Amino acid sequence: MTLPSLFGDGELPEELSVAELNRRARDAVEGEFGGAVFVRGELVEFKIWRSGHWYFTLRDADASVRCMLWKQQAAGVLKRHGQPPSDGMEVLVRGRPSLWEEKGEYRLTASDIIPTELLGAKAQELERVRAALTADGLLDPARKRSLPPFARRIAVVTSPDGAALRDIIIVARNRWSAVEIVVVGAQVQGEGAATSLARALGLVNRIDGVELCIVGRGGGAKGDLDAFNAEQVCRALAAVRVPTISAVGHETDVSLSDLVADARAATPSAAAEMAVPDGAAVVQRVDGFGVRLAAGLRRRTRVAEERLVRTGDRLQGALARLIEARRSRVERVAAQLDALSPLRVLARGYSVAQDDDGRVLSHAADFSSGRPFRLRVSDGTVPARAE
Amino acid sequence: MPKPTPEPPSLQDDLRRLEDIVRRLEAEDADLDAALVLFEEGVVRLRAARERLSEAEARVKKVVEQADGSLGLVDLEG
Repeated sequence: MTLPSLFGDGELPEELSVAELNRRARDAVEGEFGGAVFVRGELVEFKIWRSGHWYFTLRDADASVRCMLWKQQAAGVLKRHGQPPSDGMEVLVRGRPSLWEEKGEYRLTASDIIPTELLGAKAQELERVRAALTADGLLDPARKRSLPPFARRIAVVTSPDGAALRDIIIVARNRWSAVEIVVVGAQVQGEGAATSLARALGLVNRIDGVELCIVGRGGGAKGDLDAFNAEQVCRALAAVRVPTISAVGHETDVSLSDLVADARAATPSAAAEMAVPDGAAVVQRVDGFGVRLAAGLRRRTRVAEERLVRTGDRLQGALARLIEARRSRVERVAAQLDALSPLRVLARGYSVAQDDDGRVLSHAADFSSGRPFRLRVSDGTVPARAE
Repeated sequence: MPKPTPEPPSLQDDLRRLEDIVRRLEAEDADLDAALVLFEEGVVRLRAARERLSEAEARVKKVVEQADGSLGLVDLEG
């Protein structure tokens, strides 16, 4: 007997083995989620099998799901949270929805179980603030402003005694001279820090001529960053009228201030690098303009002279005088070029350090101890060596 | 869309204009008179840019609040 005769006429569904069915169901489940998810619920039927793997059910008012956690992951959970979970506990489970093919059982393969009481009031407050800022559009990437390339006055909101301020000043000074840093002192950690920071950020809007604002502190324990997650600080930061850089000094933890600011720097030094241009590069660019100006004009005058020579015989006296006038104008401006030459800068007492290939050494990091280099002065080159 | 930054500083203006001037000077179709005008403006802009670049060392100031609530700036040893 053939299949069509058993099931009647019409379109035939494809025939699958049980293994094939489960394999495809597993692909469908895993493909739907595309990775890990967090699921919150009550943990019940917790059991540690002899194999060391953990099995439990996660449920809420409407549904439940079977979960398992491999022995290897269990060790990590114990290390992070101290003790295995127990029935009735409210938890946040991190895991990948999957399907156990041998049994055709859908389940959540967990990699972490976090009791929500450990998440604590702090985390709940963080989520509340994040939601409030999101609702007001303050975390929207579209509201980020670009940083001015040559800010002349930069407000720095931080502790006046902190390492962060010292780092910002050192880096900014090494890169760029045409800047004024205005320190707006604030308490960055401990009781009252949020109020102090919010107030300092408010002052920034009252300082004339500020074109950029850096807010930050040096690295520290995670708890010390609380003020930068405070709602009043985030809102004050969003209200700063000029572009802002957040430099909370922590590579791994992103604070809400980091998300509100127009740019985030991993460290205060990195913030200073974003805030001011590299002076050596700008000088090079300006020198390049001088060279191109001169070359451009020289070519123009050559073309004009050739044209004049070709038609010279037919020129009347008046025209000849006009040409003479032009020529003297060219000579006059050409003399100005000399004053713009880099050599004239050297003549004023500046010198340029170069390596053997002629590259300009403009940063302290270029001078490793014992490295030989050449010092270009107005009338020659002096061999030198870094100590 | 990113919001525009406030009033562009003049060094930025000078560099932008210089870029524009050298491009036009390098273009084939500028006549000599126009080239001279461009060149002379370029020299002025170049000098202004250099002056700005050789300004005194970066200054560090500190905001202080006066008794009447206004803000003042004092030098900070940094």
